[in-house]
Amino acid sequence: MEEIATTAATGVAGGPGAGNELAIEKREQAMLELADFDEVVRVYRPRILRFLLSALSDRDAAETLTQECFLKAWSARHQFRGDSSLSTWLTRIAVNLMRDHLRSRSLRFWQKTRGSALDVMDISDWAPDGRGTPESVALARSRVAEVWKAVEKLSAQQRAVFVLRFVEEMELDEIAGTIGMNLSTVKSHLYRALAIVRERMGGAQ
Amino acid sequence: MKIRRVAADPAAGETREEVRELAEALSLYGSAMRHLAEQQSASPWIEARRPSRGMRLRLLLAPAMAAAVTAAVALPVYSHLHHHHHGMAPIAQITQPSPAQTRASVDDSALMTQIDSEVSQDVPEALQPLADLSEQTASSTTSVSEKKHVSQE
Repeated sequence: MEEIATTAATGVAGGPGAGNELAIEKREQAMLELADFDEVVRVYRPRILRFLLSALSDRDAAETLTQECFLKAWSARHQFRGDSSLSTWLTRIAVNLMRDHLRSRSLRFWQKTRGSALDVMDISDWAPDGRGTPESVALARSRVAEVWKAVEKLSAQQRAVFVLRFVEEMELDEIAGTIGMNLSTVKSHLYRALAIVRERMGGAQ
Repeated sequence: MKIRRVAADPAAGETREEVRELAEALSLYGSAMRHLAEQQSASPWIEARRPSRGMRLRLLLAPAMAAAVTAAVALPVYSHLHHHHHGMAPIAQITQPSPAQTRASVDDSALMTQIDSEVSQDVPEALQPLADLSEQTASSTTSVSEKKHVSQE
């Protein structure tokens, strides 16, 4: 809507240089947004933290990688071309950090237990829709715990796609753009991830 | 018609129920994760980094465990080395010659030199006939062997 308004104001819509003008406009807007980095952190930190917390199920790791994500973004802010939105760019950095973290964690096989890993007790004050009978709340929590356990079994790519789809509620083409995959690969990862979750939940029942 | 047949199929109904449950679970998961992330974002960094009770216990126990393991390894090694050191001392004492022993060995060598010099002296006159006899025996043996050589040739 904002883009439409911009093109209408400049009066170059439909012209040969319209695409270029729009790209320049978007880039300038992104640069302007990046200039106030405190604001960038304030706006996007909850989202990045949510993605990393969901993907890693580890508070400390999620906090550390969130900090690292913004540090990387700050260091590479001059390389940001504005091809994608700032949110997509930051999420891409977070996905790469998560992938590296999972790879290094699998190598550190002696550190299987994590002190800051999420537990069902962490959602003791959470209730679906904020209400329900104690039984239905307990059932909902046990279901969430089963999905958590299933997510632990997913590969880094599957996990990223799964979390972006079901926690961030992104569309598949948006996920493809964020992770840098084509749409069919995203669908394939999501299909496999769902099969694992379904199997896990079926086995638990 | 087709829809009615599928709906009547108990297997299809079961699958649909399973899919519904999965969709519900995924929705609950998303909701729970968003709730958790909100809590985490709201809590200050220091509070979030505070180690849990189990972690704190582990942090306290870790140095004690490390000390116990070090002691368990170091004590046998120390005692082994200590015993080894004590065991080596008598051997050192044995192998180290005492001044008396040194003197004795010097005396022995002097005695041996003296004996050797006396033995290598000329045969005393009283024993001269015996010396001649032995010389004769040696020469006869030599002549016999020479004859053998000649006959062989």
